[in-house]
Amino acid sequence: MLGRTAALVLALCAAVVLAVGLGSVTIPPGEVLGALGRGVAGLWTGAELTGNDVIVWQLRLPRVAMGVLVGACLAVCGGAFQGVFRNPLADPYLLGVASGAGLGATVAIVAGWPRGSIPLTALAAALAAVSLTLTLAREGRRFPPTRLILAGVVVGSVLSAFTTFLILRGEDRARQVLAYTLGDLGFSGWPDVLTVLPYALAGCGVLVLLGRALDTLGLGDLTARSLGVPVERLRLLVVVAASVATAAAVAYVGIIGFVGLIVPHVARLAWGAGHRVLLPVSALLGGTLLVLADLLARTTVLSQVGVVTTLLGGPFFLWLLRRGRHE
Amino acid sequence: MKTLLPKTAFTASLLALLPTAAATIYPLTLTDDLGRKVTLKAEPGRIISMVPGHSETLCAVGACGKLVGVDRYSDYPQQVARLPKVGDLFAPDVEAMVALRPDLVLVSQYSKLEGPLTQAGIPVFALDMEKYDEVFSKTLTLGRVVNREAQARALTLNMRREIARVEILTKNAVRKPTTYLEIDPTPYSVGPNSFMGVLLGKAGARNIVPAALGDFPKVDPELIVKANPQLMLGLDRRAAAARPGWAGLQAVRTGRVLDIPKDLNTILSRPGPRMPQALRGLARLVHPELFK
Repeated sequence: MLGRTAALVLALCAAVVLAVGLGSVTIPPGEVLGALGRGVAGLWTGAELTGNDVIVWQLRLPRVAMGVLVGACLAVCGGAFQGVFRNPLADPYLLGVASGAGLGATVAIVAGWPRGSIPLTALAAALAAVSLTLTLAREGRRFPPTRLILAGVVVGSVLSAFTTFLILRGEDRARQVLAYTLGDLGFSGWPDVLTVLPYALAGCGVLVLLGRALDTLGLGDLTARSLGVPVERLRLLVVVAASVATAAAVAYVGIIGFVGLIVPHVARLAWGAGHRVLLPVSALLGGTLLVLADLLARTTVLSQVGVVTTLLGGPFFLWLLRRGRHE
Repeated sequence: MKTLLPKTAFTASLLALLPTAAATIYPLTLTDDLGRKVTLKAEPGRIISMVPGHSETLCAVGACGKLVGVDRYSDYPQQVARLPKVGDLFAPDVEAMVALRPDLVLVSQYSKLEGPLTQAGIPVFALDMEKYDEVFSKTLTLGRVVNREAQARALTLNMRREIARVEILTKNAVRKPTTYLEIDPTPYSVGPNSFMGVLLGKAGARNIVPAALGDFPKVDPELIVKANPQLMLGLDRRAAAARPGWAGLQAVRTGRVLDIPKDLNTILSRPGPRMPQALRGLARLVHPELFK
């Protein structure tokens, strides 16, 4: 188990070095590590970056870091949602985060607000959408899973309809909206990464800490309650933590599909279903996967990371499922 | 006298030929951009244009009076702006179109109008001007369709002359700046073989986007950093400086990041008779020193 986890960490590091090295300019791994060193030293000495170091530090590294963060967030939140709803089809967008963020971003894009305001409106709208879902699903002080999912679907559909309406009205900006809804790490810079980081750490941290409780919840509400788990509060906490992390990630890079759905399944197939292991492993896998997917997007005609994740993730996942059945 | 006679005869025979060369003979069968054979029984008199550039071309060849309806983006010349609007290519109002009783509808190959309109018995002709050369060849096609061949030929000659005039200016430019032209902040740019790319070259700029990426590619921001262009068009300086790693680029440091004015942007993205005007505007942005 430990060996496999160590391999995962190594894979993530290798993916990072590879992704930082490849692109319009190829930078060999040795030089990548050298550039990383010079950049870190530069933080103290204030030395200015030159040549390829600019590409490494200001373009690729923040983009790769954003990929790790977002991939990890989506995978952890997907795993937590699948656990808390006991539904293998659950993904981080289940409660309307994506359609909320999509609507927020579309409003900002179609209205022609400055680029910096797009993530903020997306974030605000995503959180508003989840709050709406929670309000609609509430039954007294309880949040029954079926009602949550149904409310999420309805909120998602209604908000998507609004988004479509706005796109049709402001079609000269349709391409920008499309790029957002397909997910794109394009212009991720350090300020963006540093903005997402606290939300991601807080959200995913809470979920990982709740791993044992999530396992207990897997036994069913009744059993969990009899074991002393405050089921309703736990469910609400998971939903809120996951939504905050997902909303922050989605706000900055758009709606990247499939990672949150498939990575937890892949992790479960190889590492088992216990959430205390599943969630951290999902984070590592999700980060690695998204970094590699973005590398493919940057260097091939597929050009958008969301297209890559769905195009390659889908068939890969089906293959994995079939293989699992034959064994 | 001896030498003059054959010449005069030659000129006379040429003149005699001219009217027949200029007049379109109907029924006319042409292949449109969807690969369909379209037959026009007689000179069309009631035309709907669903492409703004085509509306401009029709007017420029003197067939503005034949237009009875246009799409909602057709806004030039003024005569066109006043015509009934029948939706746009992707959200067409077919009923309104049929009600105008057109005998020809000009569409793009990307619209899905040929089915419903042909069923309603209305001839449909699909035409797109995408490459630089197509702007001229298809202007001639349109001229033929509406029996304004001579005017279309005169128009294309005139356009080529206007374009050459700008080109002569920019050819003399001492420095041709390496240039990044952004058409969409996601970011999308133009390849050198697209009509906009050709115009950019004629405006005296060196496009940094390699032809291999295609005509309107989504570009990797890294590529722009690597190329370190001297001029950026299509975005403002603040936006450019805010992008990761762009603050140090030549164009940003020297303040040569220029947004394209809205009017110019419209004609720049609309292949048609105003292409020379678009080129002039573009050249003025690239080489302001030549237009003092």
